Amino acid sequence: MKRIILFALAVIMTLSSVACTSETKATTTAATGASASGTTTSGEVTKQDITITYMVSQDQLQDAEIALGEKFTEETGIKVDYQVIPSDQYVNLLSTKINAGECADIFSSQGGQFDIVSQLNVEKNAVDLSGEAWASTVDPLAAAELSVNGKLFGQPIQDVSSVWAIAYNTKIFAANNLTIPTTFDEFKAVCETIKTSGVTPVYECVSDGWHHVLWFPEMGAAYEAAEPGLVDKLNNNTTTFSASPVMKQSLDQIKEMVDSGYWGDNYMSNAYADAAKNIASGEYAMVVANQGFGAEVEAIGGDLKAADIGYFVIPLVDNQILNVNPVGPSRFIYSGGKNIDAAKLYLAYIAKTENVQYLIDNVSKNNVLPFSGVQDKYSEIIKTFYSTYTTHGTVLQTTVKYVNPQWMEIGKELTAMILGDTSSEDVLKNIDKNRADQAAAAKDTAWDS
Amino acid sequence: MNEKRAYPLYFVYGALVLYVALCVIPGLIGVGYSFTDWSSYSDEIKFVGLKNFKTVFSADENYLKYLNNTLLFTVVTTICKSIIGLALAVLLTKKIRGLNIHRAIMYMPAVISTLIVGMIFKSILNPQSGLLNEFLRSIGLGSLALKWLADSKIAFWSVMAVDIWKGVGYIMTIFIAGIMAISPAYYEAAEIDGASGWQKFRSITLPLLMPAISVTTVLNVLYGLKVFDIIYSLTNGGPGYATEVLYTGVYKEFSKGRYAVGTTLSSVMFIFMLIVGYFMIKVMTKEEVEE
Repeated sequence: MKRIILFALAVIMTLSSVACTSETKATTTAATGASASGTTTSGEVTKQDITITYMVSQDQLQDAEIALGEKFTEETGIKVDYQVIPSDQYVNLLSTKINAGECADIFSSQGGQFDIVSQLNVEKNAVDLSGEAWASTVDPLAAAELSVNGKLFGQPIQDVSSVWAIAYNTKIFAANNLTIPTTFDEFKAVCETIKTSGVTPVYECVSDGWHHVLWFPEMGAAYEAAEPGLVDKLNNNTTTFSASPVMKQSLDQIKEMVDSGYWGDNYMSNAYADAAKNIASGEYAMVVANQGFGAEVEAIGGDLKAADIGYFVIPLVDNQILNVNPVGPSRFIYSGGKNIDAAKLYLAYIAKTENVQYLIDNVSKNNVLPFSGVQDKYSEIIKTFYSTYTTHGTVLQTTVKYVNPQWMEIGKELTAMILGDTSSEDVLKNIDKNRADQAAAAKDTAWDS
Repeated sequence: MNEKRAYPLYFVYGALVLYVALCVIPGLIGVGYSFTDWSSYSDEIKFVGLKNFKTVFSADENYLKYLNNTLLFTVVTTICKSIIGLALAVLLTKKIRGLNIHRAIMYMPAVISTLIVGMIFKSILNPQSGLLNEFLRSIGLGSLALKWLADSKIAFWSVMAVDIWKGVGYIMTIFIAGIMAISPAYYEAAEIDGASGWQKFRSITLPLLMPAISVTTVLNVLYGLKVFDIIYSLTNGGPGYATEVLYTGVYKEFSKGRYAVGTTLSSVMFIFMLIVGYFMIKVMTKEEVEE
């Protein structure tokens, strides 16, 4: 009896192992056949049994893209595993993964012609996308910030026509007879009036680590206007941040705002993801946001509509220059990934004109995306905002080297300054020190002496 | 050589080769790299002497603060976990109703992932909508509703409190095992002599628990010096640099591509742990000899 049972077990084991082998072979064949090309000679899309991974910061992935990803899976069989990382941890984690050689098939990161070389080393870590059919549809200004030596390495994720400005509740302004401030003193007066009326003037969210930083480098054009030649001198290492009076003034004004209570009590624990909700509730009057913010507020479903949200430039150091930035979050394909072809198919699918349009129409903060052949959705209030400021200037993190890579570090420095643990002079000195460290590591000749 | 040993020496070679290849050699290479300018920006690696060590110990850098924070974390959590763990162990070896349920509840945090604990407490300690502050406000103690993780003066203490909450159950379990191994005869004899509860604890429980206390102290100190995950998940070193410790510093240096400075910090920590470990083992061995 025992022998019979043993024999039966042996037969079952053999059969099951054979069955498993056959199944593996079938899967492998399907995958191999498909990975050679996404389509058959008849033009039908071949279904592929592949899962691509996409590592992305939480603020850079929208529901509309996930919906497109599902359609992409239906059409190609390629599954997309979105690895969404909290924003405050994203930069460190991405750099660690790239440096360790274990990154996801696709990753998101800020573009910028300096940073994609010094931080991402895209020529080594990312796949050249110049040959892709969609590459020629990317807006030339945006493409320049994602290219090295004429090769395109990234695909824009967000609207880069938008600028980070102060979005405000026009109803609160009207109720208090307030007009758009043009100087810092006027801005303080506006904040004071709003605060007196029982509303917190500014919604700020320090815990995210990145948002409160915007107040400082977005003023780059104002710094250049106050100290002509500043950008070139910083890039040539002939001056420093700590030697710039206007930058110190800017930081001191940020501290003054916080100390005056204009950021309220909860700025340390607020999250940017809740900004639209808090503005819609009427608890806060203003927030630094881009021009899709009005639509986000309307989407909350309260009394406020998109047309009730107006915009004005951040008036620190009396700035009246529109701060433009052709750089934004972008998708890159990791060169060490195993599914490069499938990842290229995903980017090609997203970049189809109808899908780009879908992302414009279904993502509140996108008024347009930097691709040709799409329709923008600028409202009147946004057009008015852009036409109010005739002088345009580029932000500091795009024009000055080694600023954007230390964004989160600057965030920590600013937090320490706001909490009174450090001074504005020390913040600027530490930015200089971090720049010098990065320049030395990158063997930048301007920092040799 | 011990002639009575049960197994020949070559039995150890396999394990020794693996240990040397996977632990000792990479460790030594790491120490070696701390004398170079290894970074993600360049494929060339040059010898730079003690430059990285000067950077780490420079007053311009925050690393000394990270070291101070690491030591403060180690000392505070070790003392608190030991005292609270011991108190709970003494309580939970008495004959009380639902003893095992109490033990299970106290041990529960130890089995939850640190990252999950971090996320839960981030929510509980939210100054605006967190459970703790809502509770304090509801019972009229609104003045005690602090910015637990957002105020740089108390954030590190909040992190330590969460870590103590998470780790105390594990330490308690070791103490319970130690207390249960003590013969009841000692307590019976002490009772006959009219000893009070405190006298029994001081003269019987505590001395006989010393081996367990030594073990938990070593575990707590090593854990404290290596702490990373609870801080990463609760504050990520913030607000500002208030809760940075050495290993969050190492992580950030690696993520910035400054490998050499990262390995230098690790090397400093390695040497420090070696010194601490040496003295702790010496003290423990001394106690064993005295026994």
